[in-house]
Amino acid sequence: MSGSSGTITIKCKDMRVIQFDIPGMEQCLNIAHSIEILSCLDNVCKMYPFFYKPTDSNLPKQWGLSTPETHYSKMKDLHKKWRLSSVNRDYSVCPSYPPAVIVPSSIGDDVLIKAAKFRQGGRFPVLCYYHRKNGMVIVRSSQPLTGANRKRCSEDELLLQAVIEGSDKGYIIDMRSSQQAQQAWMTGGGFESKSCYERWKRLHRHMERGKVLQESLIKLVEACSDESHNMDRWLSKLENSKWLSHVQTALSTAGLLAECVERDGHSALVHGYEGTDCSLLISTLAQLIVDPSCRSLEGFLALLEREWLQGGHPFQQRCAHSAFSHARLQQESPVFLLLLDSVWQLWRQFPLALGFSEVLLLRLATEAYASDYGTFLCNNDQERCAAGVKDRTHCLFQSLLKPTERDYYSNPLYEPTELAIWPSVHPQSLQLWKGFFLRWTEQARLLEEVQEEIRNMVIKWGKLALS
Amino acid sequence: MEFAELIKTPRADGVVLHRPFMPNVEGTLCLTGHHLILSSRQDNTEELWLLHSNIDSIEKRFVGSLGSIIVKCKDLRVIQLDIPGMEECLNIASSIEALSTLDSVSLMYPFFYRPMFEVLEDGWNSFLPQNAFKGLESMTDEWRLSEVNKDFSVCSSYPSLVVVPKDVDDDALRKVATFRHGGRFPVLSYYHSKNGMVMMRAGQPLAGTNGRRCKEDEKLINATLRPGKRGYIIDTRTINVAQQAKARGGGFESEANYPQWRRIHKSIERYNVLQESLIKLVEACNDQSHSMDRWLSKLEASNWLSHVREILTTACLAAQCIDREGASVLVHGTEGTDSTLQVTSLAQIILDPSCRTIKGFQRLVEREWIQAGHPFQQRCAQSAYSNSKPRHEAPVFLLFLDCVWQILRQFPCSFEFNESFLVLLFEHAYASQFGTFLCNCAAERARLFLPEKTVSLWSWMNRPQELEHLTNPLYEANSLVIWPSVAPQSLLLWEGVFLRWNRSSKCLDEAYDEMVHIIEYNKELQNKVNCLRRQLAELETDEPVLRTP
Repeated sequence: MSGSSGTITIKCKDMRVIQFDIPGMEQCLNIAHSIEILSCLDNVCKMYPFFYKPTDSNLPKQWGLSTPETHYSKMKDLHKKWRLSSVNRDYSVCPSYPPAVIVPSSIGDDVLIKAAKFRQGGRFPVLCYYHRKNGMVIVRSSQPLTGANRKRCSEDELLLQAVIEGSDKGYIIDMRSSQQAQQAWMTGGGFESKSCYERWKRLHRHMERGKVLQESLIKLVEACSDESHNMDRWLSKLENSKWLSHVQTALSTAGLLAECVERDGHSALVHGYEGTDCSLLISTLAQLIVDPSCRSLEGFLALLEREWLQGGHPFQQRCAHSAFSHARLQQESPVFLLLLDSVWQLWRQFPLALGFSEVLLLRLATEAYASDYGTFLCNNDQERCAAGVKDRTHCLFQSLLKPTERDYYSNPLYEPTELAIWPSVHPQSLQLWKGFFLRWTEQARLLEEVQEEIRNMVIKWGKLALS
Repeated sequence: MEFAELIKTPRADGVVLHRPFMPNVEGTLCLTGHHLILSSRQDNTEELWLLHSNIDSIEKRFVGSLGSIIVKCKDLRVIQLDIPGMEECLNIASSIEALSTLDSVSLMYPFFYRPMFEVLEDGWNSFLPQNAFKGLESMTDEWRLSEVNKDFSVCSSYPSLVVVPKDVDDDALRKVATFRHGGRFPVLSYYHSKNGMVMMRAGQPLAGTNGRRCKEDEKLINATLRPGKRGYIIDTRTINVAQQAKARGGGFESEANYPQWRRIHKSIERYNVLQESLIKLVEACNDQSHSMDRWLSKLEASNWLSHVREILTTACLAAQCIDREGASVLVHGTEGTDSTLQVTSLAQIILDPSCRTIKGFQRLVEREWIQAGHPFQQRCAQSAYSNSKPRHEAPVFLLFLDCVWQILRQFPCSFEFNESFLVLLFEHAYASQFGTFLCNCAAERARLFLPEKTVSLWSWMNRPQELEHLTNPLYEANSLVIWPSVAPQSLLLWEGVFLRWNRSSKCLDEAYDEMVHIIEYNKELQNKVNCLRRQLAELETDEPVLRTP
């Protein structure tokens, strides 16, 4: 935001840039000052979702699409070898996990409590995906706290052993380079060594996180706003931002994870450092690749709810500021945006395979940063309960699935298929997500009109077909 | 006759064919005078029917006694043939090399092709200049059709009929022809019916170092100006290049001699720079290294998108002068056969909605490229994979099609044709069974009796069963001028041509078919609704009759 005599330019988190010309220097300064303060409020309970009253609905009786309990009870195949544990019911074992998690049946709550002490942030390995076709699973966690003393934790080892019970090996996808994983000892972290975790094979895939991603976003947005009209400069800047490299890494690592489970037929554990960013990114994308039920509109929203909201991705911290911010960056990182971009690449390569359209992805990208709804508030389930989000705000996902809304977000070309969809990660196959990054250009508006036309046509067809 | 001499081994059995995205096929390879044919052993269907003229280069590889020939085509496809037996392989390779490098036009396949379909409308007669002129006559009487070039003696690369200002007689034209490069005196390219302004094109004026002038040339182009108004000359060369041209006898229109014209210089690249760019781009697309940085670097280094941008910008400029400034425009480069035609034809796509229909676009290509004397034979002799030393090859027409595709993508409802149509034109420009893109100018085509001896591409393409696949289901005719964005962020790599053989288009094709299906079904239902509404209306008017006693 820059206020000069009479003009306030507002740069939004959704990449929009608006300008106000205000007569009178004093008025302008006052308004600018007020906006600055109001846009930096810290207290969650003062945020708009607590005051939002949509005209057409009251506060829902059920907030969210599903709970870990209902999710578990639906998956009957799981019940033999896996159980639902409420060890975290008061969030004391792991503050960023939901109150109920899925763990191997043979592992008791006392084992979990000890294992949690051995993992960063208490995020012990939990199940996030069960592959019906071969009974293999994906589990995720944070890094083990081996530290410089090479500590061991027999409960953690027991837990992981139970995960691959009945199988000859499992894969660990460590989202850090092997060098980074070793250096983690210095700060109290570490990795699962071969000697302690015998039947687990470790694969390292370096993925950038945190500040590096935020820098990348800032550079990309700067390139997109470049009005210089020079083709070479545009391509240079695009390359320097490295955003597309991150998208490529995300998709290729997710592909690797999916391959382990679907093609190689073995369970896999995925973690990075804290287990709240790249781990969730990869586990989400891998599920989209192999599990058709995640690709419908409801299935996708339920997936996001499970992996990101209940999974404890710190939205409040990560989405505090976006590309235009002047503030000193703390924990901001566009991990969720990277997910949506990767999903968009999937949609582009497989236009019939996903039940939702780009419009949904754009909506989610905006809502994560600023919303009327309480869905993306706070950093995890515990904070949401404490602030009363589920009682006093409206749920975005419920709103998106309302009959009047859902047509807008559905993909008219959707044809559900049981097959896995393997994305190409060749650089030539990945494109810049213009719909988001070049959203507010003249051309984008024209194309949006066209897409609106196509959508209306399909909705009309739907109505005519029914009548 | 001659062909038989060039074929060392006419057939080979047990050959395995590798193609992108299709399973390998084993069969019998046959070499004819014009084609490479592979028939599958299993069901005797022809799996491959490749024109020799489509082959850019071949590579031989040997593993033990198994020889492989890698065939790189002008349409960017790469296929591999595994041939058992070293000697057979060598013979076939050298036969293919000989057959694919024939120089004489009259040995080309279009002269031997017998169509399997009935020719309903002869494409050779579909777009004759005299018919086009009738349309112009109805709008204005300021122009006339001149036969001064009837025997191609005044300008060897122009057609026999040209449109010139009414008040300029044939003698004047002959004088002007001596003042323009290649005899290409200024002729009418486009008449903008909205405001009566025109676009003309020519070769560079042969001013030379002495600053020669030609009063007839000045009179000719001044005839297009409205009293008191200026015109614009768009020179597709930078001012430096234009000045250097003087040393070789060329030059530009000086302010002193052409006071009523404002000259604007652009910088559209030509010849080997474009060919290099294409080669680099194709090489980048084939790079399997998986590095995002390397891909973007190579894409940038090829400069292909910069060329696309430059041409589109110049075309927008010409269109702006005509539509927004309300002024007439003259376009020329050096020879007037390459960048000039790119600019004039693209400007018409922007300005004239009729050029966006299928027939209209064909007419545009016929007039502004084929009849206007773009040297297709020379420019499309080689494509990106060629090993031989380039002479006159340049992907000028492909760049034009790329620019059209960019506009099509930005305005998906404004074109009657779809991407497949543009890709088809690209393919046929480089290798075809039809005679449309053969030769370099109208004179050569007349000398070889092309309209009598070959079939026109348009005869085949304009049949309903072909047009069906080339029509854009989203088309909604409008009469607007459409202004494409030339911001670099708006221009994309034309995947349909450059990544065609690198990634499977199965999912995209399915999505396209589904979209067509939805739109058709929608129309059907709409008709049903209208029908029912009419019935309802009739019933309502019947009712009062029933009620009256």
